[in-house]
Amino acid sequence: MSELSPQRRHELKLAFFGRIGAHVSHEMRNVLSIVGEYAGLLADLVAAAGNGRPLDCEKLAQLSGNIAAQVRKGTETMGRFSRFAHAADQRNASFDLTSLVADVAVLAQRHLARAGCTLEARLPDGAIPVTGDPFGLQHAVFSAVELLVEFLKKGESATIKLDAEGSTAVITIQGRATVTTSELSARISRLSPESKQWKGRVDTSCTEGLLSLAFEIPIQ
Amino acid sequence: MKPLRILIVDDEEDLAFTMAERLTLRGYRAEAVTCATDALQRVGEDEFDVVVLDVKMPGIDGLHLMAEIKQQHPDLPVILLTGHGSTADAERGMREGAAEYLMKPIDIEKLIEKIENSTALKKDEKP
Repeated sequence: MSELSPQRRHELKLAFFGRIGAHVSHEMRNVLSIVGEYAGLLADLVAAAGNGRPLDCEKLAQLSGNIAAQVRKGTETMGRFSRFAHAADQRNASFDLTSLVADVAVLAQRHLARAGCTLEARLPDGAIPVTGDPFGLQHAVFSAVELLVEFLKKGESATIKLDAEGSTAVITIQGRATVTTSELSARISRLSPESKQWKGRVDTSCTEGLLSLAFEIPIQ
Repeated sequence: MKPLRILIVDDEEDLAFTMAERLTLRGYRAEAVTCATDALQRVGEDEFDVVVLDVKMPGIDGLHLMAEIKQQHPDLPVILLTGHGSTADAERGMREGAAEYLMKPIDIEKLIEKIENSTALKKDEKP
């Protein structure tokens, strides 16, 4: 990975922020659309009742439950995005790595879904305290997911897992991918520059078609 | 007069089925599917008057699906739904043969207006 100018790094970070912002705004627009449709259906049913159609209380309860579920989904999405956005202000912060990877996994799921793939997160139960640049780490992990997606076959499933052993935590992004060594080398140069800081380690042993990208992070 | 048959295609299941239910309450024969494969199967099996299609879907996206539908049924009007901040995809869809487009969240009355317009246009085009 060649050294990038501060200006170029800034541009890449901004582009990453924009991509995530676009994902989240799409997600929120969907949530609001669904809430709008449910509210509209409630209004339609009430109007139909005014014209003599009996009101189905079970249906009304189900619709109100559906609206509440969408509001919860939207609240979680905004909470994740808020943590993501605030991370951009912190160059050296103490944070919980498990929560950070969980957030990145959810943000990345939509990216994979658009490519017709799925992402499974395997995370430990407890918090893993680390210190560093949380935004940079999210950028590094997301760019590794983006790299993997380029080589995943449609319908494939990828995993993102977090393991802690001794004083080191390892984030591994893995999936069955068809890729040659030269294709991978060319693409790895476009990984986020933060990958270097987080000791991004790429396992290129694709003999059985399994591509792994891993980041080692010292535990506090 | 026979009610219009509408196929709604959106990977957001809640959205697709609720929209279909609201259109049904207004007297249309609406049904919903949540993926391109099911959509192609349904337009192959039955005769619809209009397809309402989400632009952004996993796997085959809405514009590719529209192209496949148009290949089988060149005269079937397609209304695109877009949740994207930009209208670029929808405008591209219009150039590629969509009858209308609407931004999400959907106003049901506007959707009905577009459904009626697109099916009326289709009738007018018939010799």
